[in-house]
Amino acid sequence: MNRRNRLALICAAFVGLASAMIPLHMDAQKTDRAKSVGTKLMCMCGCGQILTQCNHINCPSSGPMLKELDAHVAKGEADDLIVQDFIQEYTEKVLSAPPSTGFNSIAWYIPGAAFVLGLGIVIVLIRMWRQRDIDRLASASSAPVNAATQLRDVHLDRAREQADRETEEL
Amino acid sequence: MDIFGSYALLLSFAFAVYAIVGGIAAIITRHPLLIKSARNAGFAVCVLIWMGTASMVYLFYTDNFSMVYVAAHSNRSLAPYYKFSALWSGQEGSLLFWSFLLSIYVFSVLFTYRGKHPELMPYVGVVMAGVQIFFLTMNNFIASPYQVFAGAGAGGLMHMVTRADGSGLNPLLQYPEMAIHPPTLYSGYTGFTIPFAFALAALLGRYPGEKWIHLTRRWTMIAWAFQSAGILLGAHWAYAVLGWGGYWGWDPVENASLMPWLTGTAFLHSVIMQEKRGMMRVWNVWLVFLTFMLCILGTSLTRSGAVNSVHAFAESNIGHWFWGFLLTIIIVCLAAYFKNKDYLRSDNQLDSMLSRESSFLFNNLILLVACVAVLAGTLFPVLSEAVRGSKISVGPPFFNRVNIPIAMFLLFLTGVGPLLAWRKTSVESLKKNFGYPLIGGCIAALIAVVMGLREFYVGLCLLLGVFVTLTILNEFYRGARVIAARTGANLISSAAQLTMRNTRRYGGYVVHFGMVLVFIGISGTAFNQDKQMDMSAGSVMELGPYRMHLQNFDSDQQPNYSSERATIDVDRGGRSVMMLYPTRRFYPSNQESGTMVAISSTLREDLYVVYAGTNPDTNLPVIHAYLNPLVKWIWLGGVVVVLGTILALIPNRQAVMVMSAAPATGGSLLPGDPLRVPASYSARSQLPGQHE
Repeated sequence: MNRRNRLALICAAFVGLASAMIPLHMDAQKTDRAKSVGTKLMCMCGCGQILTQCNHINCPSSGPMLKELDAHVAKGEADDLIVQDFIQEYTEKVLSAPPSTGFNSIAWYIPGAAFVLGLGIVIVLIRMWRQRDIDRLASASSAPVNAATQLRDVHLDRAREQADRETEEL
Repeated sequence: MDIFGSYALLLSFAFAVYAIVGGIAAIITRHPLLIKSARNAGFAVCVLIWMGTASMVYLFYTDNFSMVYVAAHSNRSLAPYYKFSALWSGQEGSLLFWSFLLSIYVFSVLFTYRGKHPELMPYVGVVMAGVQIFFLTMNNFIASPYQVFAGAGAGGLMHMVTRADGSGLNPLLQYPEMAIHPPTLYSGYTGFTIPFAFALAALLGRYPGEKWIHLTRRWTMIAWAFQSAGILLGAHWAYAVLGWGGYWGWDPVENASLMPWLTGTAFLHSVIMQEKRGMMRVWNVWLVFLTFMLCILGTSLTRSGAVNSVHAFAESNIGHWFWGFLLTIIIVCLAAYFKNKDYLRSDNQLDSMLSRESSFLFNNLILLVACVAVLAGTLFPVLSEAVRGSKISVGPPFFNRVNIPIAMFLLFLTGVGPLLAWRKTSVESLKKNFGYPLIGGCIAALIAVVMGLREFYVGLCLLLGVFVTLTILNEFYRGARVIAARTGANLISSAAQLTMRNTRRYGGYVVHFGMVLVFIGISGTAFNQDKQMDMSAGSVMELGPYRMHLQNFDSDQQPNYSSERATIDVDRGGRSVMMLYPTRRFYPSNQESGTMVAISSTLREDLYVVYAGTNPDTNLPVIHAYLNPLVKWIWLGGVVVVLGTILALIPNRQAVMVMSAAPATGGSLLPGDPLRVPASYSARSQLPGQHE
């Protein structure tokens, strides 16, 4: 298969895959505002579900809460104001995610801090291990080289070059 | 039979104690008879646990309602197959089931390595017996499933009381998948005991080199495969039974299963570094420890009530036993590590930043960060309560926001990793290897954007998914082409040969492809739609391209439940395409309701219809319909992941010896490893795919 055919085949595959996904997007309904605000709130019945996803019919919490939410939205209140009203009524536990201020905002920083810390460790390790490799090479080059070692290195270099060449063809 | 089972468990506890004491004595004295005796005690523990479990199953099947556990989780009209799964439906039974599965692993290990590795196995036996003792303590003294109803008779004598019928099984558990999901997931949890036992044993016994890694690789993969399948089966159960239209709610119990999976995945990758380069010895040992600790932590969270969960186990009070066990494990691991850490010292060296080694480091970093993110989100309500005195909720918005970027990075590394060579990758080879897959991914994303896609992460997922798929295909294609050129076979059979020559490597690629499918499936969530309506016969609901005509309602009476069923004719483009029958069941024995969701599933989307109940205001049935795109890709991806793991577990087939004339200056070399021996030295016994 030549390069052009391969490219054509790849393109065809992507068009197929992308077209399988895209109409779904085109068909997607616009969610109403209440639904959007509702995702920021939890149902308080203890089911651990998002308010708009609580599926308990006759749920003692979600029904009244949704009605309350609809009333706020109908009044044209801003999202933040609606959420604040719910916090006042149900405490911060009503929020589906920790707030971005105060002590509870720490939850948001933990994954990022873990990533930065981990990344730092990985970088330090890589640098340390690279330095070890450089030191090893330096000490090897400064050490007296006997004929057998030289011969082995020549073979090794030749083998590496050949491997590089042949794998390049692939 | 209740006495038989109870005694069997007590006896198994005694034997487990002997297995530890005898094992320690065997380690100290090195006396062959003691070693054999401790091992045989290990076998006896397992057989006795099997008897104890079989006895409990028998009690369920004989409707022995003098047993508290049987009465609480079964009833006479319960279908026979659910009487078996009722075994693990409650706290006590699930702990017994845990012991049972663990005993299967322990027996298999003791049997497989009987008479082998005499320096290592006594340590392994002691560690495994230690874990068994904890669970047998639970089974015998803390949460025994063999408690009976008793009442005071004439003269104040206690006697056994038998109830006429039981309370029945929780309706949510009366679903075929519930007969598969817990055993699968528990097999994952318990399976991680084996690599943990080997790692700790190798550390305690200063067992040489990488041998423990080779010994436990397959056990780890088996546990990982069970964990993966268990998680996906759980997700499918939640999707098909709970009726909320989703499959993953970031519930603490779900998170508990995900965390050891993440660290287990990291271990499966980083262990390759140790095998190939002798690197990361300390890290690998701690990854195994951490994975096992997370299994226990997850169980503690599930059973202690420390965090809010929809799972019933959370209401129990045995959590402090698990916390104690977890603390013991941490202390033992730390002590073993600090005592013998010199043994783990390795001469880690890195030739280049652009190498397979560094990609594994980043892979581990990302998996661990994902684990920390899940753990933080799961435990933060507890922390918040401890500090501020009030619990907060950490729900799906937090987990999604934090984990989606991490998942994307992981997907990127899934594609990049296999393209990098060990030790060093030249920029030219990187360009060549990345070129087509990256262009392919960009084209796919571009087409999607042109066609209207505006969701950033979905576009990125599509780009990376295509990129990873192409890198995998490229790996198969390159190897298969070389084999085809040498053997004259066609590309497909060459690819099959290639795979069978290094099942671990190519099985791993299949697993990666499975993960791509899972990711694409998950990305479909961005386009979910749903609608809820009070419907009567003749009414119509429209959702996306579907029109659902509710035809009628009927009811049915079964021995264990009564049901109401809606008959819905679904049409698309004016043409009737299917009939759906969402059902609502009522179980009189425990006065609970359950839904049987009607799902029409295609690769494109799921039409998911729930008969949610009756609206008290209108007295009309409530039908909730969801249109969930690409969900089937997740289940399909799960199947591919499991198949890939099975493939990786198959031993490599010996390469066909193809003798050919080798050039005098050094024969043909094979792609991949720059240090491969020239063909003139070894004939062509090594063909592509035989290296990692």
